[in-house]
Amino acid sequence: MMNNFRFGIRQKIITGYIVIIVCLIAAILAVTKQLDNMQKERNFIIQHDFAVRDLTSNIEKDLLKMESGQRGYIVTGDENYLQPYNEAREQWGKDFNALSKLLSDYPDQLKEITAINENIKEWIEVAGEPSIKLKQQNDTAGIRDFFQKDPGKTEIEQTLQQFDSFRNNEKELVQQRADNLNNQNQYLEIGLFSLLAFVILASIALAWIISGSIIKTIKAVVETIRAMTTGGNLSSRIHVKSNDEIRDLGFATNELLDSFEERDWLQRSVTEVVSKNQGISSLENLAEIFLSATAQITESSYGAFYIKEGKEKNVRFVKKGAFADTAGDVGRDSFALGQGLIGQCALEKRVQVINKIEGDYTLISSGLGETKPRSILIAPIVHEEEIIAVIELASLAEYTSQHLAFIEKVLETFGLTINRVIDRIEIARLLSESQAMTEELQAQSEELQTQSEELQMQSEELQMINEQLESRSQDAEEKSKALEIAKKELEEKAKQLETGSKYKSEFLANMSHELRTPLNSILILSEMLAENSSKSLSEEELEFARVIHSSGQDLLNLINDILDFSKVEAGKLEIMLSEVNLSEFPSSLERNFTHIADQKGLNFTINIAPDVPTILQTDEKRFQQIIKNLLSNAFKFTEKGSVSVRLNKVPADVTYAGIDYWLEVSIKDTGIGIPKEKHELIFQAFQQGDGATIRKYGGTGLGLSISSEFAKLLGGRLQLQSEEGKGSTFKLLIPSISDESVSVQTFAGASAEVATALEQSAKVIEDAPATAKIAPAVPETEQPIMVDQEKVFYGKTVLITDDDNRNIFALKTALEQKGMNVLNANNGMECLDVLETNKNIDLILMDIMMPEMDGYETMQRIRGLNEFTDLPIIALTAKAMKNDREKCLEAGASDYISKPLKLEQLFSVMHVWMTK
Amino acid sequence: MKDLIWNNDDSQETNITETIEMELLLEGLYRVSGFDFRQYMRSSIQRRVQNRMQIEQIQTITGVLEKVLHDPMFMNKLLNDFSINVTEMFRNPEFFKVFREKVIPELKELPEIRIWHAGCATGEEVYSMAILMEEEGLIHKAKLYATDMNETVLNKARSGILPLSKMRTYTKNYMSSGGTRAFSEYYTTDGHFAYLKPSLLKQISFAQHNLVTDQSFNEFHVILCRNVLIYFTTALQNQVYELFYESLSTKGFLGLGDKESIKFAECADQYEEFAELVKIYRKK
Ligand SMILES: C[S@@+](CC[C@H](N)C(=O)[O-])C[C@H]1O[C@@H](n2cnc3c(N)ncnc32)[C@H](O)[C@@H]1O
Repeated sequence: MMNNFRFGIRQKIITGYIVIIVCLIAAILAVTKQLDNMQKERNFIIQHDFAVRDLTSNIEKDLLKMESGQRGYIVTGDENYLQPYNEAREQWGKDFNALSKLLSDYPDQLKEITAINENIKEWIEVAGEPSIKLKQQNDTAGIRDFFQKDPGKTEIEQTLQQFDSFRNNEKELVQQRADNLNNQNQYLEIGLFSLLAFVILASIALAWIISGSIIKTIKAVVETIRAMTTGGNLSSRIHVKSNDEIRDLGFATNELLDSFEERDWLQRSVTEVVSKNQGISSLENLAEIFLSATAQITESSYGAFYIKEGKEKNVRFVKKGAFADTAGDVGRDSFALGQGLIGQCALEKRVQVINKIEGDYTLISSGLGETKPRSILIAPIVHEEEIIAVIELASLAEYTSQHLAFIEKVLETFGLTINRVIDRIEIARLLSESQAMTEELQAQSEELQTQSEELQMQSEELQMINEQLESRSQDAEEKSKALEIAKKELEEKAKQLETGSKYKSEFLANMSHELRTPLNSILILSEMLAENSSKSLSEEELEFARVIHSSGQDLLNLINDILDFSKVEAGKLEIMLSEVNLSEFPSSLERNFTHIADQKGLNFTINIAPDVPTILQTDEKRFQQIIKNLLSNAFKFTEKGSVSVRLNKVPADVTYAGIDYWLEVSIKDTGIGIPKEKHELIFQAFQQGDGATIRKYGGTGLGLSISSEFAKLLGGRLQLQSEEGKGSTFKLLIPSISDESVSVQTFAGASAEVATALEQSAKVIEDAPATAKIAPAVPETEQPIMVDQEKVFYGKTVLITDDDNRNIFALKTALEQKGMNVLNANNGMECLDVLETNKNIDLILMDIMMPEMDGYETMQRIRGLNEFTDLPIIALTAKAMKNDREKCLEAGASDYISKPLKLEQLFSVMHVWMTK
Repeated sequence: MKDLIWNNDDSQETNITETIEMELLLEGLYRVSGFDFRQYMRSSIQRRVQNRMQIEQIQTITGVLEKVLHDPMFMNKLLNDFSINVTEMFRNPEFFKVFREKVIPELKELPEIRIWHAGCATGEEVYSMAILMEEEGLIHKAKLYATDMNETVLNKARSGILPLSKMRTYTKNYMSSGGTRAFSEYYTTDGHFAYLKPSLLKQISFAQHNLVTDQSFNEFHVILCRNVLIYFTTALQNQVYELFYESLSTKGFLGLGDKESIKFAECADQYEEFAELVKIYRKK
């Protein structure tokens, strides 16, 4: 009941006012009553007093009137004087009665006036009446007597006196009464002010109390609202204890907050889900993320996500993601439109919440299968008026309207999101398809290029074969005849050769021997000369002597080599097997080579592997010779680094009759190395035509061939591993022969086997000379190449444009040697002039820094002429600055080389630009 | 085109047969030679086989298989057919330009720079890299590995011999790749060929390596595999990308061919696009 009692703000204020008004009325009534009393009192004072005074003075006047009338009459005897006397005698009684009536309440005064009354009556009896009677009787004596005696005089005087005192008394009395009234007035004033003060206080107090009760609640509300806005906490609510409009306000605010919070939740939930959906590129991913987010927000335990696939009649919704707070697969894999609850929903395009789930809610009726949740929510996802997906959620609690609102809201834009992902997937697919197509195109174009190259090659081959065939068919007959003859000739020749080469070798052997004798004397003599014991030779002559000596030494070596070689060739060399003590091997090598090593500052090491036996059965002399040969070669071509010798026993997988073991001697240097294509070459004697090669790699040219031959003689082989610039390793592989009776020739095959076995085990990839495929090509091409080189240049015309005549001269000489026609121009203008008259120029060498017209401009001008757009121009730049080169290219140079010119480079470039 | 549209049952059948034949051929080839072309682009393989069939006058793919199984020479020919060796020095010069300008600064500070050219063909690409390294003053610490599955082209590559007729193109490529010297400094010539300077050649290790069947053999700072993956199916490409990923150091570079892209590969997000225009990617 109390709760229902409303004490609103209006009531509060009205109550306050009423209290004050009541107070005021009470005060006013009290004051008026008081005032009334005072008024009466005052009136009484005024009327009573006036009446008393009037009456008193009337009586006095009457008395005097009577006296004067009496006297007048007596004196004159005129009757007229008697009239006022009579009137007054009649009048004063009346007045006296009125006065005594007035004063009936005041005995003191009554007494006084009674006394006055007695006196007046006295006078009348004593003086008045008798005197008149005397007159009337004309009793003059009586009258004189009367005057003499003058009775009544005392009475009059007494009466007048009495009147005075009465009046004084009366005055005092009035004064007293006025004072009394004054006092009363003062009290009233005091009462009035105190009443006023009370009312003021009461109103203030009331105002305070009422406003306080209003403000307090408002403040509480404001406080709560402020806390919410600053703290952002929407969950706190306003509590109002009073039962008034403020409470209403609080309730209304709380309601507002409730709806606000709800909307905020919705907004936040939607934003959360939407933001999670951003930047996802696969549907599965999207489904997974979306489901887990929505499930969490709607407090669902299960969820499944289906995407529409297929068109028209074949539409199926396929599961792309599922969510379950328990492990396991949830929902069916797919369903068709209208199939089961979920299919129905997809058909109807609206969100459905099923709270009453039938007992037989099974697999068919829902995508979620056998679980029995309290509530199921099925929602279609629409994009452009078409369902593109369906989600199904199931909860163990019921879905609230808020959940529904959330689902509806979030699905509004989700269709677009799905569509975007689908689009993105499609775009990615198209892009990758186009990438695949691009690659395919590239592959095709490369294939085409290969094919066209193949075709080119084939057609060239065909052409060649055709040509050959043509000439062959012509020659065929001739040839077959010639062949016959040749065959016979060959047979004969073969015989001749056999004996011939034998003779040649024998001759050589003898000759060499014959040559050595005189040479020896030359050597000795020149040595003596060089020692200059007689001190008679000049420096120059001494140098000559030394040259003679060293040349002689070389010659001798050569002759020795030739001798050895011819012996080998002639089969004259015998092997003498003996035991070689390998432990002495290092010291003998050191004796011979340390001084050269020291001289050249090279490291020289000899290593013998621990498993190498001390005894090697072979021809010691030849063995030593091979090693020395190889070593002197190594030292000759090594300028810095090291030369090392290493002895290894070859692990024997295979055994051969008559062979104890195989020894591998590696001689390794860090010298200039030998390019692959020359590997075979350096082992061949006499056959190679390129003297330079011999000079460069072979020493006397025979050392290696001899060593190789010796190695073969000893049943072994000599191999080379080398690359240009990386040094070389010569490997001598020889057997220790235990059985002299076995022919060494039979070891040849064995050594090949051992060598390949070795190679494989060591995984040495380098081409061994014996297996080099390109080997036969080298000696053949070596010669013709020179001719070809000339061919490219021969008869061609070059225009040199340079203002430096020394350059022109140097170039001219070099180019003319190649059989070229050389024209020259001293500057750009001249160059253009020359071009005008000579249309058959094949190449221009263009200096850049020239007076008048520099190289850049000249080239630009040349390129400006239609006929010379393809003419090779090689710019010669003094400094190879990047800027320079770019300018050259812009100006139209085909290529550039920097000065000072290297002839080889120049020819290389000319090759490139002049071969068709 | 018409054939495709008017695909009657007959041709469909032959197509199926051909598919089977082709699978058998590749399987057979794999079993006898160890070279696995089963995951190569069928279209490309198809054309190569067709080409061979035409040259050799063989009627069916099964006929090709028969020869593959019984005639080693023929098998080698077919293997050679399958390896397309088109290449150039400074091919797509822009690639080398960007490499020089953007990648080199990233490598300069390394104590040793290992570069792998996977599918180097006849070596022109690795020669170009050697020249670039030489010009950047890095050749002394650069280790260039060039591999290919085809031993024949590797041998050509090892020789450093270039056809003279191609040198003009190479010169142009060299220049537009931002070469800082004269191209002629790197070769000598005779009437037939140009010879790469041996000092460059010796910086390169050539080895046989099959991207399909062989494993990673080192960790590299740069891997170039240009115009090789175009012959592979996506699945095989992904497999090879995996191999490259294993073989790259962190922040290592992967260079692909002009028409190739890693964008659609599985491993795309393991790389950042370093210079997408010239297909240089960087391992994250
Ligand atoms: C077109 S060339 C590319 C040459 C060079 N990278 C370029 O872009 O100039 C392709 C090369 O890849 C090689 N190749 C093809 N499949 C291979 C594989 N599975 N393993 C290694 N190399 C392969 C081929 O032998 C061929 O030499």
